[in-house]
Amino acid sequence: MDVKYLEGLKPEEIHELDRNLFLTTFEQLKGWSRSNSLWPLSFGLACCAIEMMAGGSSHYDLDRFGTIFRATPRQADVMIVAGTVTKKMAPILRRLYDQMPEPKWVIAMGTCATAGGPYVNSYAVVKGVDQIVPVDVYIPGCPPSPPALIHGINLLQEKIRYEAKTGKKVIDRDGK
Amino acid sequence: MLGLAKGLKYTLKNFTKEIVTYDYPEKSVPLPDRFRGIQKFYPERCIVCNQCANICPTQCIHLTGKKDPDPSKKGKVIESYNINFELCILCDFCTEVCPTEAVVMTNNFENSAYTRDDLYKDLTWLDNNNENIREENKG
Repeated sequence: MDVKYLEGLKPEEIHELDRNLFLTTFEQLKGWSRSNSLWPLSFGLACCAIEMMAGGSSHYDLDRFGTIFRATPRQADVMIVAGTVTKKMAPILRRLYDQMPEPKWVIAMGTCATAGGPYVNSYAVVKGVDQIVPVDVYIPGCPPSPPALIHGINLLQEKIRYEAKTGKKVIDRDGK
Repeated sequence: MLGLAKGLKYTLKNFTKEIVTYDYPEKSVPLPDRFRGIQKFYPERCIVCNQCANICPTQCIHLTGKKDPDPSKKGKVIESYNINFELCILCDFCTEVCPTEAVVMTNNFENSAYTRDDLYKDLTWLDNNNENIREENKG
């Protein structure tokens, strides 16, 4: 394609051009495959980790959704922050997030990771993990039960597919 | 060789066992009545006694009341009632302390959201939260 043809176009117009039939279908395929093999980094910090383990075992069986726990950030796609993030743990959490390969997502599981929870008045706890890493899905509950975690993971899968299909942010979607 | 046969016998026996996995996203999970999900609020029952806001360990309940518009009645009626559900730890204190059972627990646990703002529940939302309400609240 002649490069001069693209000159003088606004960034949003170039974005529209990128979303042609072939590339959009390819993006959808990528979104489908990514959403069905969400390998989480098991990042258990408190009691939420117990519920996350219960979610991985036979009664709830997260493997049904392609969610297979990995012990290293280099093989992981999604970080499930399960539990209280103290200010001592915060730089380590950020480093683990930086070590994950793109594309990567974060689920804030439980009230502690979302907003500080019962430790909201503490001087040693980070009030919401979104101050350190960008969070995609928040799961409230103290701790959330395994079905609530499954619901959160399904919400993240829906987000990946929606954003791959339309190219828009899921938080801008109407009637949510 | 005998050990192998023994192990295989155990493996084969497990094939005929009943599957314990809940088929969750397709079917609902059995939950007890005392399960703590998100609260349901009845504005007509509330007497604006502020006990729920006072007892909340994380101060996530904010409420305001106004004087009863009916001049023959004493007391207050509720004007706004907000639960900051991103902070709610579901300790059940607000429903235990409520003298008129205006705030009760439900079995609704599917509250995940893409933004923290979605977790801020106001009076209209809590009033319309009508499903799976806890049957028995006292005792």
